[in-house]
Amino acid sequence: MYYIRTFWLMLVVLVLTTLNLTAAELTADEVVAKANQAAYYAGKDGRASVKMTISGAKGGKRQRAFTLLRLNTKDGNQKFYVYFTEPADVRKMAYLVWKNVGGDDDRWFWLPALNLNKRIAPGDKRTSFVGSDFLYEDVSGRSMHEDSHELLEITEQHYLIKHVPKKPGSVEFAWYQTWIDRETFLPMRAEYYDASGERYREVEALKVETIQGHPTVMVAEARDLKSGSSTRNEFHKVEYDLGLKEQMFTERFLRRPPREVTR
Amino acid sequence: MKQNFLTDFSLRRPWLVLLLTLLSTMLFAVQFPKVQFDNNPENMLDKDEHVRVFHHEVKEKYALYDFVIVGIVNEDHPDGIFNVETLGRIDRLTEQLLHLRQNDQGLPEVPPRVDQAGSNSQEPEVIDLRATGLWQTLLNSAFSHDPNRLFDERGQSVIISRELIAPSVVDNLKQDQLGSLKLEYLMESPPQNRAEAMVIRRDAMSNPLYAGTLVAEDEKAICLYLPIKDKTFSYTVANLVRALTSDWPEEDQVYITGLPVAEDTFGVEMLVQMATSAPMAGVVIFILLLLFFRKLSLVIAPMAVAIVSVISTMGLLIGLGFDVHIMSSMIAIFLMPIAVADSVHILSEFYDSYPRYRDKAETLRSVIKHLFRPMLFTSLTTMAGFASLATTPIPPVQVFGLHVAFGVGVAWLLSMTLIPAYVMVVVPQKSLESLVTSAEGDDVAKGPMNRILVALGRFSTLRRKPIVGAALLLVAIALYGISTIRVNDNPVKWFTPDHPVRVADEVLNRHFGGTYTAYLTLQASNPGQSDFAEQAIQLKAEVETRFMAAFPAETGRFLTELQALQDRFASAPGSETRKAFAELAQIAAEIDIEMLSSWYELADAINYFSTEALTWERFSVDIAGIKGVHADDLEALLSALAGQQGLTGEELISAALAICDQYTSRSFADFVYAMEAEMTAPLFKQPEMLNYLAGLQEALAGHAEVGKSTSVVDALHKANYELKFMIPPAGLNEVELAAYEERNRGHFAVPESAAAVSQVYVQLEGMKKKDSLFHLVTRDYQEANLWVQLTSGDNQDMEQVVALVDDYLATHPSPTSLKAEWAGLTYINVVWQDKMVRGMMVSLAGSFVVVLIMMTLLFRSLLFGVLAMIPLSVTITMIYGIIGLVGKDYDMPVAILSAMTLGLSVDFAIHFLQRSRDLHRELGSWQAASLQMFKEPARAISRNAIVIAVGFTPLLLAPLVPYRTVGFFLATIMAVSWLATLFILPALLTFWEKAACGDKKAIADK
Repeated sequence: MYYIRTFWLMLVVLVLTTLNLTAAELTADEVVAKANQAAYYAGKDGRASVKMTISGAKGGKRQRAFTLLRLNTKDGNQKFYVYFTEPADVRKMAYLVWKNVGGDDDRWFWLPALNLNKRIAPGDKRTSFVGSDFLYEDVSGRSMHEDSHELLEITEQHYLIKHVPKKPGSVEFAWYQTWIDRETFLPMRAEYYDASGERYREVEALKVETIQGHPTVMVAEARDLKSGSSTRNEFHKVEYDLGLKEQMFTERFLRRPPREVTR
Repeated sequence: MKQNFLTDFSLRRPWLVLLLTLLSTMLFAVQFPKVQFDNNPENMLDKDEHVRVFHHEVKEKYALYDFVIVGIVNEDHPDGIFNVETLGRIDRLTEQLLHLRQNDQGLPEVPPRVDQAGSNSQEPEVIDLRATGLWQTLLNSAFSHDPNRLFDERGQSVIISRELIAPSVVDNLKQDQLGSLKLEYLMESPPQNRAEAMVIRRDAMSNPLYAGTLVAEDEKAICLYLPIKDKTFSYTVANLVRALTSDWPEEDQVYITGLPVAEDTFGVEMLVQMATSAPMAGVVIFILLLLFFRKLSLVIAPMAVAIVSVISTMGLLIGLGFDVHIMSSMIAIFLMPIAVADSVHILSEFYDSYPRYRDKAETLRSVIKHLFRPMLFTSLTTMAGFASLATTPIPPVQVFGLHVAFGVGVAWLLSMTLIPAYVMVVVPQKSLESLVTSAEGDDVAKGPMNRILVALGRFSTLRRKPIVGAALLLVAIALYGISTIRVNDNPVKWFTPDHPVRVADEVLNRHFGGTYTAYLTLQASNPGQSDFAEQAIQLKAEVETRFMAAFPAETGRFLTELQALQDRFASAPGSETRKAFAELAQIAAEIDIEMLSSWYELADAINYFSTEALTWERFSVDIAGIKGVHADDLEALLSALAGQQGLTGEELISAALAICDQYTSRSFADFVYAMEAEMTAPLFKQPEMLNYLAGLQEALAGHAEVGKSTSVVDALHKANYELKFMIPPAGLNEVELAAYEERNRGHFAVPESAAAVSQVYVQLEGMKKKDSLFHLVTRDYQEANLWVQLTSGDNQDMEQVVALVDDYLATHPSPTSLKAEWAGLTYINVVWQDKMVRGMMVSLAGSFVVVLIMMTLLFRSLLFGVLAMIPLSVTITMIYGIIGLVGKDYDMPVAILSAMTLGLSVDFAIHFLQRSRDLHRELGSWQAASLQMFKEPARAISRNAIVIAVGFTPLLLAPLVPYRTVGFFLATIMAVSWLATLFILPALLTFWEKAACGDKKAIADK
């Protein structure tokens, strides 16, 4: 009897705690803030090698490999450095992005074969990243203040959040929804819809691993449902807190890449 | 008499015949609701035809779509099309087309104009394209045409918005502040003032991808290209654009064109013509018959024969599951005159001989007895003429030919059965009494037609030499005319010159590089990468020239390792090349480390130096502390920097790194990667190949009808130019400015290495409008698509362009041998029309022989066989001679009509010869026979000629040229073959009386 009672008691406690956890009543904005943190701000800085495969609707694959550096700076701002290693014809090509929350990003690129260092004028962040189905905004993250968020549903594993842009004219989507993992707060899936309610784009996290305590997306795929093309990014050699210096996110390092990407 | 069995039966059981006819007609008529229309001229070719299959492959491969081309022309405004108002309207139209959607009622809906404040309060605008008029509504429902058909099964817009080409959604690459590069749309937002409009003008005109395509080079017009899911949507999409621009002011003229629109519009209007022209021709024929025979009850008979034949034939076509295509829509038009012809012969004879018998059945028996053979012959020859179309390689023409042949058979059967039965049942004996009275008055014999015919008969028997001479002369002239015939076609020219489609075509091709598109695809003729052995030889030569002098030991080691790799990969397939290069790069990197590690350390450390308060003193202390650096390397750096000790901070670091670069750039690994990039580059990353393509484009530009060609080279030129563009610093003099300008202009070129090309491509791949580069090149950069715009859709012009390219490829060897192949609607038209023309010629020749054999067999005389062929030969020669002489193109409708010419123009000769022979047998002499010939028989022939020639004049009013051609042709065929029969045959018969008569006696003896 005693055991049974204890069992029931424990069960009730357990259920209550679980309920209590969900009933911690995170608002949509809080979920999004946590997701943003988990997906884009893990650690002080980070590095990853990325193998990018772009597949056209009718076959035809293009592969690229690059190393990505990220440094969190002040006020949620960040700096990114992208260094291409493969194929041979784009080797040493490099991109530099300074993400300025609430403002325009600064962007530069270096084309070694043209001996050319160029700054890109502020513009649409929702343009393709090097011809892939990922957008610049997917790489650097979309500011959560640009959308209003609504918690649609809490499933066993996910928060389902609907995001509606505050300035509808500035983006190509009418709204999008993300499934955010309740445990890791990583966005596991995003679906974008156009004004006629048609889903035209998806981004999905296909594999997650915990590295240095940070749940990290190791395989991600973006799909353009209208053209039928898709891009898969596979991450390797992910590291956090390398102690990257802000200095290496400058134009000088575009032409002469830092040892953090060359070695 | 067994040959009259059918007629005898019909005379005995007229009600049964009427009932059977009604039943079978109903059986065919119930097939009608199953009708499917197909107005795609592409279906002139078999689905598996190579060019069609290839065309679709190309469309898939390069994500190309059929375009509805919307041209907006403003010739009034001083700034041309680039004025604030017009650009604003264009932006709005683009916005509406991009966001077209279906509302809850299934109607098209477009977003309202978003006002300045960006508020979205206005309701979407519903556009209902349904017709308001009753006639149009009826037509639409008859042809199951939905005017609001703008959505696919899933309710998605048929306009492929992501591929739409308009100033508001095409990429623009331009210089921005501080030498930065801006990626945006050409018209990111509608201009608010003239200055902004001028910026759009400058950007558009300076982009080789847009000038002549998107914007007219005279700056007076802009074209929007609306890609559609299928070209059968183009008519409704064009209507949508008309509706959306209906409130535009007069000075902004909107023109809609493109082959898809022309083809689809033709399809729709062709159905309208089917529903109007054919019945109108029927009405005119009816009135004419009424004038000739003045008996409504009698005249209904031939009309019934025509209508029943048409219904049966169309019912069969639909019942067999064929779509009503451009060709088959003309079945009614072709069948009607032929079907009427037999019954007019019967009626004409009936009319003339009734007074003799004063009994319907007796008269009919006698008439049919006379006419049975010639009518059978004429029907069989007509059927043979049309059935011969089945030998053409064009499926719709085969279907058309066989069905018309069937219809002709039905018409013959009906003439033999329905007409007698009808006369027995419907025409009251009493009403025919008037014929007797009029005959007694010899009204007919004294009528003007009769007088003319008798005189003509006398003339042609007496003046036989001049007649034959004149005929020979005319034939000679006609033969010359035929030699000048131009085989050419252009679906846009199927419209009359004042038709909106034709007008739009003319206007837009005046302003732009051309609205007719063809695609020239290029790829290596034997793809397959070169093997590593070959590449190793190049590598060796290159490494020796670059490295041997400075680094003999390292170069030696590199060469040894390379030789080992070459031996290992010698027999490996081309795909292993990458592995070989990877291994080589690894080895090279090892050599580099040994050779340059000291410089690497030095450069790397300096790179990380803080620029803050960096002076020479600090710098020299810091570099001395770098580990792993050879003392002499450090010494070399310091001595190279001597004289620059005044530099500080960033500048000092840059100077030091520049010196390090001189050493680190002697890297074997960099060398290997660079060589790999060049040697394994896909075809259209190779600068040599790209420049070759540019040369081909230049050659194309030399052709008068090629308004423009666009390739990936144009995209590279523009991108390279903007990337490398340097804004001249302030305060330069003219000479220096000119030098800057020239330097910038020099970059309007293909980058110099494959790696450079690749890196520019990466920028183009990442433009705002994703993947637009891949309309011009495949994703693997192995194949390219050259978009050729022609200002004319004439086959001849397209053929010339094809020949020009062939010639260029033959005379200018490309760096890698190329396989060039054409696609695109303009080219497809060339292919099927070529097939059509050849097919028609073969089928015409074939049926000529068949008819000759039939004639010989039926007349049981070679001479009569040949004689029967003369009028039709003269007719065909004359008609094609006229076409050649007046300069009309030999096009699709003309080609089809050759079958009809043969079938119709042999008829008169058959009737004439058969009756002459009968009369000759009766009367014994040709002189006597000819007198009779020019009475009743000639009258029947003449009535037929007039009914058909005049009956089809309503076709001359049709807005579609093929219908006019048919109308004109019918009149000419009738006139010429009538003349040829009544002039030449009597003249020749007089010449050959002996032969002919002897012949006849032989038969008679049998």
